[in-house]
Amino acid sequence: MSADPTPGGAPEPADRTPALDGAGLALAEPPAAAAPRPGAADIEGRSPWQLAWIHVRRDRAAMISLAFILLLALLSVSAPLLAHWIGWSPTDQDRTQGLTVDGLPVGPSGRHLLGTDNLGRDILVRVLYGSQVSLLVGVVSTLLAVAMGVLVGLVAGYFGSAVDTVLSRVMDLVLSFPFLLFAIALVSIFGSSLAISVFVIAFFSWAAVGRIVRGQTLSIREKEYIEAARSLGANDLRIMFVDVLPNLLAPVIVYTTLLIPIAIVFEATLSFLGLGVVPPSPTWGNMLSDSLDFYQVAWWFPLFPGLALLLTTLAFNLLGDGVRDALDPRAERLFQD
Amino acid sequence: MPRTPRRTRTLALGAMLTTVALAAAGCSSGKPAPGPSQGTSSDNAANINATGQPVKGGTLKLIGSGDVDHLDTASGYYTATYTLERAYTRQLFTYPASTDPTKSTTIVPDLATEIPTTANNGISADGLTYTVHLRPDAMWDTSPARAVTAQDEVLGMKRLCNPTPNAVGAPGYYEGVIAGFQQYCDGFAKVSPTIPAIKAYIDGHDISGIKAVDATTVQFTLVKKANDFLNILAMPFSSPAPVEYLNYLPDDANFRSHTISDGPYAITSYTANQSIKLDRNPAWTKASDPARDAYVDHITVTEGQDEGPVQQQLQAGTADMQWDTTVPTASVPALKATKDPRLGVYPSGSTNPFLVFNEQSPSNQGALGKVAVRQALEYAVDKVAIGQIYGGPTLNTPLGQAIPPGSLGYEKYDAYPTPGSKGDPAKCKSMLAAAGYPNGLVLKDLARNAGKHPAVAQSVQADFKACGVTTQIVPVSQGDYYGKYLNLPSAAKAGSWDITEPGWVPDWFGNNGRANLEPLFDGRNYGPGSTDWGDYNSPAFNALLDQAMTAPDQATAESLWHQADQQVMKDAAIIPFETQNDAMFRSSRVHNAIFELFSQNYDVTEVWLSPGS
Repeated sequence: MSADPTPGGAPEPADRTPALDGAGLALAEPPAAAAPRPGAADIEGRSPWQLAWIHVRRDRAAMISLAFILLLALLSVSAPLLAHWIGWSPTDQDRTQGLTVDGLPVGPSGRHLLGTDNLGRDILVRVLYGSQVSLLVGVVSTLLAVAMGVLVGLVAGYFGSAVDTVLSRVMDLVLSFPFLLFAIALVSIFGSSLAISVFVIAFFSWAAVGRIVRGQTLSIREKEYIEAARSLGANDLRIMFVDVLPNLLAPVIVYTTLLIPIAIVFEATLSFLGLGVVPPSPTWGNMLSDSLDFYQVAWWFPLFPGLALLLTTLAFNLLGDGVRDALDPRAERLFQD
Repeated sequence: MPRTPRRTRTLALGAMLTTVALAAAGCSSGKPAPGPSQGTSSDNAANINATGQPVKGGTLKLIGSGDVDHLDTASGYYTATYTLERAYTRQLFTYPASTDPTKSTTIVPDLATEIPTTANNGISADGLTYTVHLRPDAMWDTSPARAVTAQDEVLGMKRLCNPTPNAVGAPGYYEGVIAGFQQYCDGFAKVSPTIPAIKAYIDGHDISGIKAVDATTVQFTLVKKANDFLNILAMPFSSPAPVEYLNYLPDDANFRSHTISDGPYAITSYTANQSIKLDRNPAWTKASDPARDAYVDHITVTEGQDEGPVQQQLQAGTADMQWDTTVPTASVPALKATKDPRLGVYPSGSTNPFLVFNEQSPSNQGALGKVAVRQALEYAVDKVAIGQIYGGPTLNTPLGQAIPPGSLGYEKYDAYPTPGSKGDPAKCKSMLAAAGYPNGLVLKDLARNAGKHPAVAQSVQADFKACGVTTQIVPVSQGDYYGKYLNLPSAAKAGSWDITEPGWVPDWFGNNGRANLEPLFDGRNYGPGSTDWGDYNSPAFNALLDQAMTAPDQATAESLWHQADQQVMKDAAIIPFETQNDAMFRSSRVHNAIFELFSQNYDVTEVWLSPGS
């Protein structure tokens, strides 16, 4: 909660690519083709990844975001320790001093630094614990989605024809699913839990990755070096995972960083609707949901979980932007100094 | 808290009652019922803004969230619908608008000329035949205007169990009570839901227990004595219906644009989910109606606004009254602190929420089937904390018994007193150990996932934890809550839930055991759709229930209901938490705002508006 990337304050690189799109993400050439131009010979032996890292490091917004995310991860891991030190567990109900007689939350004070919620629970501790759920769901569901998306996209793009048609229609189907209706139906059948949340989010995210990967694979498989590999006797599996996959890493990494904040908001949406993690576990989404009845009389109640959600998604988005700029070969400054 | 429509809370009531063998006898003595008697709200009971001379005219603007459930009296079951039905329908008997809680829960004649008693030959000596005389001057707004007759009353009753989805919401109040009603309905159920088929069935079949002796005399014959029969006749379901209604399918869109009124107002415009407008019914005269004054000229209902925006509009004076919402609980303390005269707080007569034990649950080796375990847990709950969730002591009074104030048999007592009603975890723990569970229990708490329900479940969870009992919250949607869990004995037997926190608003107040203790605790007819959700079944309670329903007079019944209440609490079938008050807000131009328990709103026929406003 302490680091604030203040997006307005960070100067935008002048030549930043304006928007995310599938084509702009791709490394159109294999890494070998990204050779330094003549005259840059004094820059020795830097791989494109090193160059990308150098670029990201110069991007202040991305670095502040990264710092924020690392700090958040640290806070989230140490939440139990911090809660012990603050003196409240996330489920402790301070009914005598954390609530008014009429059941209204009590504002920030020495006793509760960020105030209390509708059951007299400490908002600071709950926001800290909430970050565990947000990060866990954000990261795990994104990894699942990316793994599935890459696999399906790769197979569809590489084999083409009937396989491509079937898998592409499946992706279209998933993309056309009404997310919330599906989530409500699933939760009604299986009951709400962390695992269901992760599954639902992953299920609705993989198809977008799959489409991008498929498109890239379609173009990569026509490259000469793929032909070369094939003439050397490499089988499909080897070509897919050894020759094609590494060339997909850049767009996949960029998409992953941008998918995490979407997954975090998905989770918050599910929790907000009471379909996410089971109470009393705090999540930013269910805290916001609880605060609905009180926003007019207790500003701190929606503010802090809302701010945590806002800053976290902003940080991931800015970091994702930075990573994309760094990995996109069309952003020429990769090679300028 | 948005008011839960009556229908959702008592969703299963009708189904349950159809199967109940009603052992009611005796007669309605017309004695006053004990009313709500809560000190916290007595100052507000007088807050009706009756100062000044009542004036006629103006447009009363109601604003709220949802639509009526039905406009047809046969099926209208929401409290908001009742608010409007007060204006465009009349019944044989009704409850008068009064700030005196005793009066407001006691039946008075409406279309009837008098309350039938054995003394005036309205009730036969065996208590089974009721003869009701209708006043000749009540008119439908047909053209030309036509008198409301005994035949119309018979038709109203015959339409109740029509074979459309818009049949009566609570058939049990009629089927087990009126002679021939069950057979008539069984036959009706087989009729195809078309206008000619319904008309043919109604014209060709009679309910043996309901007879129009002449144009102004209707006679009811009961299967068994029922000392609350007049209360049943006072429900809007029991309204008469004009013969023109046979030209429509009950409550379809066409019906809704052709309602016929015998009340002081008539619906002149209805747009589903948007607005309703009522104008004066030219056929109505004050002389014909002892229960309504009808001061305003027009009533409008605007729908689609949540309680927050509703509150803002009322405070700004751009609307006059709430339609189906209440004041947001978080806003009540500020309004109360400034002593805003537009705020009114009234006992709702509900018991909400309360905790039900699933006595069939196999979990913890069937621990919840043991009285001693349930008795221990009675001491666990901090009822003040539950009250805080619903707005604190202004809006909540801790309840120690099964019968809430406003219902016959209510007496102030607490079967399991704890200091300040805040719970006694130590006592709970020691009693639980004595009952054989020194290591506590693990319970599944079935909780709806919206509104205040998650907070209630978490509050209970913290209380039970202090007693060594772990609860796991099982969040479900409102729709699944009854449909997939509470209404299904299979879910209870499988241990899908151990405890849960529903609420209950009786269908009427006063002499209402049939709408209160009986549906909640009579375990003899436990089955699908039963509202005895935990399968409490006590021979001692059942005997008291039967005696109360067969009691010769209300005073005897009152004491028996109280004993039945004590039995329920002794067996610890539920943990009562609170009885709640409704926080109502109105614009400053609203005068004579008399809260009606039945519709949980001000009586629109009694309100008058500041002249020139």
